[in-house]
Amino acid sequence: MKINKVMSSLQARLAIAVGVSVTILWLAAAVATAHRLGRELEQVYDDGLKATAERILPIARHDLREGNPRRERADDDEDEDDVRREARPVREARYGEDVTFILRDKQGGVLLSSKGADVAIFPPFEKTGFSRTDTHRLYYATSADGNLVIAVAEPLDHRQELSNKMLLGLLLPLLVVIPLSLVVIAFAVRYSLRPVRALQQGLSHRGAQDLSPLPDSGLPSELRPISAGINQLLGRLTAAFDAERAFAAHAAHELRTPVAGAIAQAQRIRSETKEELTAQRTNEIETTLKRLMRMSEKLMQLARAEGARLRADEPSDLRTVLLMIVQDFERTGERKVELTMPEKPVYSPLDPDAVGILSRNLIENALKHGAQGSPVEVALDTEGVLCVANEGATLPPEAMDRLMRQFERGNVKIGGSGLGLAIVKAIADRVGAAVEVVSPRSGRSEGVEVRVRLPIT
Amino acid sequence: MRVLLIEDDTALGAAIRDQIAADGHSVDWMNRLDKARDALASAAYDLVLLDLMLPDGLGIPFLKALRARGDATPVIILTALDQVSDRIAGLNAGADDYMVKPFDLAELSARIGSVARRYTGNPNPIVTLGPLEIDLAARSVRFNGKPVVLTAREWVLFEAFVQRPGQLLSKAQLEERLYSFDQEVDSNAIEVHVSRLRKKLGAHVIETERGLGYRLGRP
Repeated sequence: MKINKVMSSLQARLAIAVGVSVTILWLAAAVATAHRLGRELEQVYDDGLKATAERILPIARHDLREGNPRRERADDDEDEDDVRREARPVREARYGEDVTFILRDKQGGVLLSSKGADVAIFPPFEKTGFSRTDTHRLYYATSADGNLVIAVAEPLDHRQELSNKMLLGLLLPLLVVIPLSLVVIAFAVRYSLRPVRALQQGLSHRGAQDLSPLPDSGLPSELRPISAGINQLLGRLTAAFDAERAFAAHAAHELRTPVAGAIAQAQRIRSETKEELTAQRTNEIETTLKRLMRMSEKLMQLARAEGARLRADEPSDLRTVLLMIVQDFERTGERKVELTMPEKPVYSPLDPDAVGILSRNLIENALKHGAQGSPVEVALDTEGVLCVANEGATLPPEAMDRLMRQFERGNVKIGGSGLGLAIVKAIADRVGAAVEVVSPRSGRSEGVEVRVRLPIT
Repeated sequence: MRVLLIEDDTALGAAIRDQIAADGHSVDWMNRLDKARDALASAAYDLVLLDLMLPDGLGIPFLKALRARGDATPVIILTALDQVSDRIAGLNAGADDYMVKPFDLAELSARIGSVARRYTGNPNPIVTLGPLEIDLAARSVRFNGKPVVLTAREWVLFEAFVQRPGQLLSKAQLEERLYSFDQEVDSNAIEVHVSRLRKKLGAHVIETERGLGYRLGRP
């Protein structure tokens, strides 16, 4: 799960892929170099071994022919013999103290040997050239007459140690270089993916209703099609929302204007006529038209509550909206609406139209069901809690159940009280506000109170 | 008052025009913004009733242009746009009031009166002048405590004087308040109405400045 999460990040994938590849390549290069160098070194050592043997042999033969005393140990006294004089600088120059030799006669008797040479390490002569024992690398050479055999030996430990040192010398820097390059790769990948991160943060930080296009300046060519695609989508969304808004406004105009004309004409007839019956008829026409208007208005409100955007680009003061709605009721209504609001603005990210529809429906509902003659109380607090309360009989539990059901979409009857509450419910659900019905009202013995907690900024 | 009504719906426009005329105001009814512009340029209006969606444009830019010119004529918006944001836009553009269609004509009359009162600087609808008690909202006058019945024309004329106490109003100004473009002006109508008002409310209620016009007197 965690690995999946890491591997789903483009940055981690790139860093891991590049890091692993670089590490493997570094190691492979080191191994290949070590292998190749090892073979070269082996060659150089072998050449040295062979050269030593070929130098010592003629000198030793010369010494022996001159009748120099035969010595088993060439270096056990103060006198320096020729062989030693010649041999020591040669081998020491090349090998330090590590190379030893013995000179044998045809029968295998040791004629001469280097200081500290252990005869046991030299296997019997079989052929000239290189050979190898478990511990040493050897070179055998014979004099031209075949009477003398020289064996030069170098311990394998020594070579191994040198090759280990070389390998270590190659690998040690890698111990620093590989982690360092991994860090550099991680930073480079992080840096290169900065535009992706910026794009992602720009997207995640924008408000739910922010449909402005993404800035495409400085985006790498791989991301440009993505941001262009997103912008296209945002553009289409904006157009769709705008079209919906325009349609709602247009529908309102197309519907309200003729109805307003008909109602106004009916009212003119009523004030111009002196006949009782005509006045009564016009009243009926007016009542019917107003009912038609209310019904279609509720349907439009419901469409808006369920479809249109409910958050505005900029926060607005809830008090302004409430004041307007309450003033509307005061102008036209017979009953009073008492409004209590904080002195300071209560800013909300909600679309003021949505707040207007929601509060209008709550107040209408309270006016319809509250006790006649007593005011509906509307209160807003600084936390954005809107409370609409009315006097009247306490709701019995079953009526409370019914009311709560009316807050649910599904059993909506046009013209009945259900639609108003369904509109409230639709808006509250979409903005994440809880609707709470309390009866009897808090601190009273009767009445009904509906509370909605509106989001504030 | 002289009212400019800008409304393109025939049935609604006619009903509003008749309502305002029945209240005694003179009304010019235009169904397009360009015609409304011409009317505003050629006559002084006390009030504009403005619809927001007209065949040749929108009401909000029209209102903004009006206010940008420094024209302070009271404007009541009559519109089918019922959303809070539409209302805020309308009021921010410089409207004095906002009525959503459909509305009651009686409410329209009341709002016209209230906006007009606010503009004359006296929001209190009750004005007392010696023995006269005038209720500008209810359009009623009491003389020594007894109600006096005025015709619509008489009321509008009297209201013009009450709203501008001490101010001299020319015959032409008064005729403009009483008649719209399409009405023929009776040459001595103002004199007739003034003499009727004097008969009902006392001989000194309106003073004549010979050759100049009339002003509110001390009844």
